[in-house]
Amino acid sequence: VKRPQPRASLAFALILTAIGLMILNVAGFLQPVESLALRPLGAIQGWVSLRYAAVRDLLGSPNDITSLRGQNAELEAQVAQLQQQIVSLQEQVAEARILAALVNYAREQPDSSYLASKVIGRDVSPFLRSIWIGNGSDSGIERNMPVVTEQGLVGRVVEVFATASRIQLVTDPAAAVNVRLQTSRADGVLAAQLNGELSVDLIDQNKTVTPGELVLTSGLGGGFPADIPIGKVISVQKRDFAVFQQAVIQPSVDYANLEIVLVITNFRPIPVTTPSP
Amino acid sequence: MGYLIGIPLMALLAALQSTLMTQIHFLDGRPDLVLLAVVGWSLTGRSEEAMAFGLAGGLLLDLYSGLPLGFSAILLILIAYLISFAQGRFWESHILLPLGVMLIASGLYHAGGIGGVLLIGHPINFLAAATRVALPSTFLNLVLILPVAQLAAGISEAMASPQVTV
Repeated sequence: VKRPQPRASLAFALILTAIGLMILNVAGFLQPVESLALRPLGAIQGWVSLRYAAVRDLLGSPNDITSLRGQNAELEAQVAQLQQQIVSLQEQVAEARILAALVNYAREQPDSSYLASKVIGRDVSPFLRSIWIGNGSDSGIERNMPVVTEQGLVGRVVEVFATASRIQLVTDPAAAVNVRLQTSRADGVLAAQLNGELSVDLIDQNKTVTPGELVLTSGLGGGFPADIPIGKVISVQKRDFAVFQQAVIQPSVDYANLEIVLVITNFRPIPVTTPSP
Repeated sequence: MGYLIGIPLMALLAALQSTLMTQIHFLDGRPDLVLLAVVGWSLTGRSEEAMAFGLAGGLLLDLYSGLPLGFSAILLILIAYLISFAQGRFWESHILLPLGVMLIASGLYHAGGIGGVLLIGHPINFLAAATRVALPSTFLNLVLILPVAQLAAGISEAMASPQVTV
């Protein structure tokens, strides 16, 4: 009798385990376990992120490194120690600057309540554009809450765990945001490409859109508050045979270098349900 | 012994993938650290351990991702299992043959990744996904697999006596 190979049995058992976990996750039974697992993992992610930022900033300051080279061994050790403190302080200053800008922004929008949160990582799948922040349901964050910086709209909360949340960026192809062009008052829908390029689709052909116009959230659909900046128009594609015109936009937020974001905690998105046939 | 090193290493690699690797990219492609580790370890002939690493690494990656939990784990276990089929048959004969293994593994991994994105109903532009993400990532994985395979072989030899298949 031919017995099954132990390696095949192991692979089968492991795949079965993964499928079982996937089913339990889809059914929502693993939410508490994921929340529990994300506590230490979020801490690791935060730790790695912090160290990476410190090393990046250290490498990005060549003048300091050049001056260190001229010192003798004893002084070098001392300077290195001071350098470490400087990097740490520079990080804190940079963070304070970001927070100050965010506080100013929050003051200008007194109707909204904000929660500042640190970006601790990004989605590991290159096909999804999302970031992880270091606050979750323990801090009062809920699904679909909008996320902004002082520069404009970042995205919305799509997954919430106890101590971390996943934010779908507006540069994700699945993130459809209703927008309005400030000068022409034309409405449209924000469309993102996989490379992060943003454009506004479904603009009425009769509207005159000009480069440089500001693109804001329209508030239509109830997914986001109105009048949050997203970017400005850099070019317009208008074809006579097309039903709508399209505008390519330059985002106002640098999505590749987000460090701290604001979650709007008092905005309640209007749930959209598909009508039954 | 391998498990003691491997599982924490997978946690570290998954965290690095979510932080450092998002800053190191070629077009939109990035090196897939966990895939590299699983393939590298499979190439040493420790396929059972590699499959377990695939499960642990995949689950950790999925925790940091919007993909369904367990999806990457299935892909990585399958890749480790497929590599085990040819274990000891041909790649020890030529140093460049791990490149062929990585090419297939990376292709499968990214095809699976696109499948996962479709599974959750996420829109995707196949041409952009292939040219901007899958191909550059595969290129970076190919560049890194030779040192990773050498490193894995070194660690494997330094560890306890190799497994013997009877």
